[in-house]
Amino acid sequence: MQTDSAQGLGTDRLIVASSPHLLTTDNIPRIMHSVITALIPAMAVSVYFFGLRALLLLVVCLGASLLTEWGFQRIRSKPITVYDGSAAITGILLGLTLPPGFSIFGAILGSVFAVGIGKQLFGGLGFNIFNPALLGRAFLMATYPVMMTTWETPRTFTKAVDAVSAATPLALMKFEHKFAPAMDLFVGNVSGSLGETSAIAIIIGGLYLRYKGYVNWKLPLGYLGSMAVFSGIFWLIDPVKYPSPLFHILAGGAMLAAWFMVTDMVTSPVTALGQWIFVISAGIIAVVIRLWGGLPEGVMYSILLMNALVPLINKYTRPTVFGAGRNQGGA
Amino acid sequence: MNTVLKMFLNLVIIGSVSGVVLAVAFHYADPMIQANKEKELKEAIFVVLPDAKEYRALEKTVGSDKIVVYQGVGANNAPVGVAFKADGGGFQGNIGVMVGLELDYLKLRGIKILDQVETPGLGNRIAEPKFEEQFKGVEIAPRIEYIKNRKPEKPNQIQSITGATISSDAVVKNINNAIGKVIKAFPKEELLVVAPGQTDKPKATH
Amino acid sequence: MADAPISLWHEFKKGLWQDIPPFRLVLGTCPTLAVTNSVENGIAMGLATLFVLLCSNVIISAVRKQIAGQVRIAAYVVIIALVVTVADMFLAAMFPPISKALGPYVPLIVVNCIILGRAEAFAQKNPVLPSVFDALGIGIGFVMSLATMGVIRELLGFGSIFNFKILSEAIFEPWIVMILPAGAFMVFGGLVALVNFISHRRSSGIIS
Repeated sequence: MQTDSAQGLGTDRLIVASSPHLLTTDNIPRIMHSVITALIPAMAVSVYFFGLRALLLLVVCLGASLLTEWGFQRIRSKPITVYDGSAAITGILLGLTLPPGFSIFGAILGSVFAVGIGKQLFGGLGFNIFNPALLGRAFLMATYPVMMTTWETPRTFTKAVDAVSAATPLALMKFEHKFAPAMDLFVGNVSGSLGETSAIAIIIGGLYLRYKGYVNWKLPLGYLGSMAVFSGIFWLIDPVKYPSPLFHILAGGAMLAAWFMVTDMVTSPVTALGQWIFVISAGIIAVVIRLWGGLPEGVMYSILLMNALVPLINKYTRPTVFGAGRNQGGA
Repeated sequence: MNTVLKMFLNLVIIGSVSGVVLAVAFHYADPMIQANKEKELKEAIFVVLPDAKEYRALEKTVGSDKIVVYQGVGANNAPVGVAFKADGGGFQGNIGVMVGLELDYLKLRGIKILDQVETPGLGNRIAEPKFEEQFKGVEIAPRIEYIKNRKPEKPNQIQSITGATISSDAVVKNINNAIGKVIKAFPKEELLVVAPGQTDKPKATH
Repeated sequence: MADAPISLWHEFKKGLWQDIPPFRLVLGTCPTLAVTNSVENGIAMGLATLFVLLCSNVIISAVRKQIAGQVRIAAYVVIIALVVTVADMFLAAMFPPISKALGPYVPLIVVNCIILGRAEAFAQKNPVLPSVFDALGIGIGFVMSLATMGVIRELLGFGSIFNFKILSEAIFEPWIVMILPAGAFMVFGGLVALVNFISHRRSSGIIS
């Protein structure tokens, strides 16, 4: 019950900061166990498509994140909460958003930045403004722009039509105007970040979390729906020039972000109305960046941008909810 | 002395003294600044037209655009090519390119990136010789094109920089735009004879 | 003037640590963030500012008794603008590459808070000599700050210092972010924290 009202618990924000200890000690390991379980399909598929290198990157990110969390809390003489799993999930999520050929040192740097600057510097879990994993990725994007946009072809057993090219489906869409077939995107038979290519693996994980009740359905559905509707308008206007809504929600980081990043409790609004504003705006921003921006992929910045607005959204949506009564079930 | 008068005198004196000092400083600095600018321009022209010994600046106004081209003049006092500046937006700001064009308006002699503020390590690689060299001998008709990750196949193609498609695209677009304007403003025949007057001989003859 | 040596030394020294402009006073942050992507640019900008600060402090201190209080800011701005314009022309004439790299930030020294701040806070109340030392201290503190930012950003962003390659690309992939504005803010934030941390340590040590 507690977890359901605390919306979108299914991500790397596992300690509900305001909760009393006796509740959290019982819940945290269970929830975090579920989230990591939910990420297993995505991790497995990434290892299947990109080999042991993918496994190595994921392990390095995980280890570096845990060490950073431990180190920072040690320095600040705070209780060590490495075992709550939030740092572990940040590490795994960061790893899943990296390109397969990424350097080990870069992965460590990104993890240290994600947990150190992205979370601990703000005061630790519950106080961070931005999703730490995405912040780490944004830092790496600015630090190693070449490495972050150098992709490898997945090791496929049956070589699909266009999956051979090393460019991501989104880059192909943007610069060469080719749309990857939806089936390849769905399975993950395209080049891209480790855990972002296979939509089906992420959906399995997401549905598992939903079944467990740790994910607020509004957030992933709102995000993907907003992307689909907004991109669908342009697709209907000119299907040759603009890719289909299906392409948009399956390509790039949209699926992973929808299930595991927009649902981040700390960095998403608390009220139902606020959550709708949050996900719909983020979806539109992502599509705008993809179609007209300088970059092929806009999911990361769409969420980071909206993260920054969350305090504002919270401020302006709170009275309505208070007036409406207890925020038990949301909308 | 009343306050208003004092205030008035204060500002008048400070203003006039400053004006005089500035005029003196300008008198000494301006020739050097102009010489620096000219030197930079000249170097760029001689890079894109290597066999030019001197150049003439030609100017025409088409509509609201002022188009300036530099006719390169070779050793035997014959025109060897035409250079001009192509400006336009890049990924982050203006990209200025000096373009050298054959007099038959078929191929480029070469280009040099003069100004750019593209992302270091990515977009700013447009200023590397490896990228600039590609434009030597590229055909300009129907327009210059770029392709990604492959060797150019057609004589009017160059290869874009991996990860910096937007910057590469901007360079190509700027050059195409400028070529279009120049060709319209200056018919071939006009540039085949050495332009009269205003011989822009290198100033550093002393 | 009687206790000149001690107080002059004090005026000089305060700018180097206690009142070091960008990190303690948080003044002059615009050039600190904008032109410190290499040590060379940082030092050039710092020296240009030092020059302007020195000249403006001397002139303002010298004419401080003649200026009517009501128009003093206008008068200071004209004087500062004069010095800045001369400095800008000097750089453009003698060091075109540096002038190009610093771009609009040299003319922008006019609105650098450090200059007007020192004029208002110090030069207008003090004789010429202390004003010189005040300008030197604050100015050198500013040069040091910009150089420190430049060293960190150039080393991490290009793997070099003074354009001299120190970290080979084989072992160190440069952090592009350090050359970008985002890197400037990160380094600046880190240095402000460090300086405050050290000062805090020191002062609490003295008090206890």
